[in-house]
Parts: sequence; C-alpha cells; structure tokens
Amino acid sequence: MSNENPGIGLGADDAEMKRGPLGRWVNTAIKNPDRAYRSMFYVAMVFFLVTTLFPFYWLLVLALTPNNLISNMGLLPKGFNLTVFIEMFQRVPFHWYMFNSFVLGITTTVLVLLIASLAGYVFGRLRFPGKGILMLGILAISYFPPAAFLIPLFELFTGNTAISIGSVTVSSPDLFNTPAPMVFPFSALFLPLSIFILTTFYGQIPDGLEDAARVEGTTRLGALFRVIVPLSAPGVATAGVLTFISVYNEFFFSFLMNNGEAGSWAPIVAGILKYQGQFDTPFNLMAAASIVGVLPVAILVIIAQERIVSGLTAGALKE
Amino acid sequence: MATEQQSGEAISEPRRTGPYASVINWMEMLSETQFAYLLLAPALILLGVIAVYPLASTFSMSLFADRLTGTARLGEFVGLQNYIDLFTGARNFALPSAFLPTFSTEFPFVTDIYSSALMVTLIFTAFSVLFETLIGFGQALILDQDFRGRRWVRVAIIIPWAVPIVIQGMIFFLMFQPNIGFLVGTSENPALLNQLGFIGTTPLRDTADSLFLIIVADVWKTSAFMALLILAGMQSIDRSLYDVAKVAGASRWQQFKLITFPLILPTVLVAMLFRTIDAMRVYGIIETMAGCQTVPSLSCLVVTTFNTPLYGTSATVAFITAGIIAIVVSVYIVNFASEGV
Repeated sequence: MSNENPGIGLGADDAEMKRGPLGRWVNTAIKNPDRAYRSMFYVAMVFFLVTTLFPFYWLLVLALTPNNLISNMGLLPKGFNLTVFIEMFQRVPFHWYMFNSFVLGITTTVLVLLIASLAGYVFGRLRFPGKGILMLGILAISYFPPAAFLIPLFELFTGNTAISIGSVTVSSPDLFNTPAPMVFPFSALFLPLSIFILTTFYGQIPDGLEDAARVEGTTRLGALFRVIVPLSAPGVATAGVLTFISVYNEFFFSFLMNNGEAGSWAPIVAGILKYQGQFDTPFNLMAAASIVGVLPVAILVIIAQERIVSGLTAGALKE
Repeated sequence: MATEQQSGEAISEPRRTGPYASVINWMEMLSETQFAYLLLAPALILLGVIAVYPLASTFSMSLFADRLTGTARLGEFVGLQNYIDLFTGARNFALPSAFLPTFSTEFPFVTDIYSSALMVTLIFTAFSVLFETLIGFGQALILDQDFRGRRWVRVAIIIPWAVPIVIQGMIFFLMFQPNIGFLVGTSENPALLNQLGFIGTTPLRDTADSLFLIIVADVWKTSAFMALLILAGMQSIDRSLYDVAKVAGASRWQQFKLITFPLILPTVLVAMLFRTIDAMRVYGIIETMAGCQTVPSLSCLVVTTFNTPLYGTSATVAFITAGIIAIVVSVYIVNFASEGV
C-alpha cells in the first residue's frame, strides 16, 4: 500500500513534465492530422499483432526448451530441442486423437451440409405457412447452453433412456465411446448457422435456372442437388469450413461424451489434457502438442479466410 | 455409347416403375407446403431429439429430488422445491459451489461473490463482452484501412478465434504457471504483474485471479469475432457519406462520431448480444485453465453436480441457465420480430 502512493505521485510529475513535448506534438498533429492518424494506426496495428501472436510464440519457446530447464523463462528458448515433436507422440498417442478429431469433424460436416441444404432450400426458395416461426425456433434452440442438454443426452447415449410404446419398452442403445454421442450433438449445435448461411445463398439463385432444370425433366430434389447446390458452391464451402472448425474447437461434448481414451473416439480435447501426468508436468510436451493441434485450423484459416469472414458475418448479421 | 444409354434412360424415366420411381412420383405430387415440411423433417427430427427433448426432459428432472442411494437416479416428485432451495441458499451445503452469493444488509450487501456460480458467470460475461467489444472495435478500425499486407494482418487477428478451446486454455495455463515464465513470479522474486497487484503468485489457484485471467484468455480468443462483425458493419456504410463529410470539412474524428458510430451501432449491439449468450455458457476454458473448483461458472455447476451425482439439482441449475439465456434471446427476438421478418 505504502509503495503505491509514491508511484502515483511520480506518474503525476511525469505528466507535468511531458506537457511541453506533448503540447508540441498536439500542435503538429492538428496542423497535419493525417500524419498523426497514420502513426496511431501503426502503433495500434503493432499492438494487436503482438497481443494476438505472442501466445503462439510463447508455445514455441516452451516447446523448444528441454523440460528440466523450464523455469524463469525469458523471451528466448533455452535450447533447441526439436525431438520434443517426436516425444509428444510417444507419451500420448496424439496422432490418434487428431485422427478422431478429423473423423468427427468430417462426419459432422457432411451430415450438417446434407440436412442444412434441404432446410436452406426450403427457407430460401419455398413459401409455406409457419416459415417465420420455424426459422425463429431453430435460431432460438441454437442459443441454449449445451449444459441444458447434458443430462438427458448422456442418459440417451449411455442406453438409460427407455421409451414405452404400449406394452413394449425399447431401451436406447449404449453408444457411449462411439462417435455418435459427439456427432449428433455437434450436428444439432452447429446446424442452425449452416442453415442460415445456405438459406442466404440458395435464396439468391434466380428462379429461372431452377425452372429451366424442371422443364428439362429434373425432379425437385434433382434441381436442388444438380443446379442450386453447385451454383452455391461458395456458400456450401463456407458452411462446411465453419462447421469443421467449430467441431474441431468444441469442448463441452468432446470432453464429457467419452472416457478420454484414443480408442473411444476421444478428440484432441482429451489428448491435450492427457499430458498432465501424475508425477510430472511436461510443459514442453504440452506446448508442442498445442502447436501441432493448432496447425490444421491455422492452415484452414490461411487458405479459407475469405470464406470464414463472409460466413461469420453473413451468419450472424442475417439472422 | 454412354450418352446413348443416358438419353435412353432420360426418356424412359417418367414411365419407370418400382419403389424408387414411386417415391419420386409421390414427391412430385406433393404441394409446396407438404414438400417444404418433408425436406425440413431431417433438421426438425435432429433438433427435436438432440435439443427440444433434452430441454423438456431437463425441466421435468428438475422437479424431482436428488437421490443419493439406490439405482434410480431421481427421488420423489418435489415440484419447484429445487428452485426454491437454490435461490434461498438452502441447498448450498450439498453443492460444490453456491448458486447465489450471500446477501447481507451491510455494505457491499453481497459477500462470497466468487463462490457463487451465478455471480462468477455474470462477472465473466460482463467484462469479457465489454472488452471484446472495445478491442474488436479497435481491430475493425485497423482492418477497415487500406494498407499493404492487410490480408496477413487479418489472418493474424482471426487465428485466435480458430484456436480450439482446450489449446486456448493450455496456452494461458502455460503463460500463467508460477515460476516458469516472466509473467508470474514467486513471492521472493515477483514479476511485473505481481508487483502491480493484478495477480498473485499462484494465480490459477485463486478464484479472483483465475477469473481475471480467464476473461483475458476469452478476450484474446473472441475479440476477432467482434472485429469481423463490426468490420462488416463498417464496410456496408455508403462511402459517399464520407465524401460529403469531407466536402463539408468534417475531421476524421467528426466523421467517425457522426457517420461511422451511429450507423454501426445496431450491428455492434447484435454482436454484443451474440457474445453475451455465448459467454454465459463458459465452461471449457475454465476446466482447462483453472478447474471448476476454482472458478465455478453455471455450466461448471451443472457438470459438477451431475458428476456427484445430484441429478435433480443439476437439472435445476441447467434449466435456470437456459432460462436466463432464453430471457436474453427473447429480448432479441422480440426486437427482430417487431422490425418485421
């Protein structure tokens, strides 16, 4: 407490002394505002770049430093231990966790694109009673917290939910430790965003193209999958990329709907958390695994940044 | 040969029989409304089974008592007793963390704020959304400029958004582990953040410090989302307005105050609402960085009571969480509906 007061006093003195140069700076800034804006702009840009990228650099510093040397780390790694990227796969089968994440992500994406294409076609191109209410309903559902669905879904997927139809009681199958308890909740969670993105894109295809396909003798579904979906390829790609990233990043169901073993389809959530050992904490392996885990999405962001930007903004602002 | 076969098929298609053709014919005969609902069926079934049914089931479970022994998961029907117990604090003895803080008549009127799931969640939500909006705004202003390398700056700003929650948690866990980095020191050798009094020397074991760091981690990850939405708002502004302003002699600050800010305000509010709803569910980052015992959010309380297992209490907390979010959502939907769908 006593330390703080002189500090504040000093700050006030400093400000007093700097008023001179600051005043001059303000004068030039008023005379030449563009220069001031330009310098402010660069300062802000560098600040944002440093704050967003520093954590990744920190991971690299920790990964390259041998674990026994990690204490009181500065800004540079104490060593250059590249074998950490081999060691991390030996300690935990991280490649299997990543494989599981990819399988879950791709399965969910295909399922979501299929279902959302049908729904997006309906909302984007057809007129029918109840349309507005249904869209709002789907929107509202997507906002509920996963925690509100946890207990019944856990019971459902562990085979503890029984449905009685008359005298026949059917128990739900025990799907725990298969992909199903993750894929279905993921699909429901991320379906609404894809529906809204695809509704926008499908709604923009001129009616004439669909009519022409129908006159040629295509069925209604044929027109959707042979004319509208191919013409909306950017929209489908956007919805697909966003769904995949969302699944890859998801925590709640990924963490709770499996026993955390690679053989039980546990995704990278469990893989990363597994490095925390009972007797040691291998900071360098944790950092290395985090780097490897981030790489796929980082590459996806670099390749598909236009799609991601347009998808996020369209998805959020249209609704 | 191949084309001949195809055209032959196309001609014979209307006359084809069999189950596939009859399904196609049946679909062609449906009215537009019937066809619409047929195509919506997969989406509605999925959402029904994975979202609507669990929500209803959670509510019905919340009306039953916990059962600590025996094979059945729930005790007898108790009506709204679980809700009453949670709000009066009568259930606190059984919970890993309280639901509400303790109220008192003396200033500051509430105590034990950090052991209350509701307060922790609200503090997290308020601060993270506020700072994400401010920083997102700053980032959007940067990205709105034309400069060389803009594409790469945008990638750098978006990447944290794409980082998996578990890795985000691991990054901040590694940054704020005592004694391994320069951000957190020891009591003999305090680091700058310790000396300034922002955090103690074991920040991830202290609720207030952890909450602060979790907010920082969330701001780091999610500001980009706000930035993108605000940027979209900025870029939809008619550029000729700025030309008019320049001719009229408005400074950059005046242009921002009189054109940019009022025109993107609706976008910012919508974006803040999205983030509020999302922040209310916070769970993963807490679990990875500090653990649910240290920072008990509402979602944490649902999971910890579920694992105890106190099914009735867990369902009650889950339903209250959903209810709070539903109130926030309905504010938005009412506004949305009044503007016209």
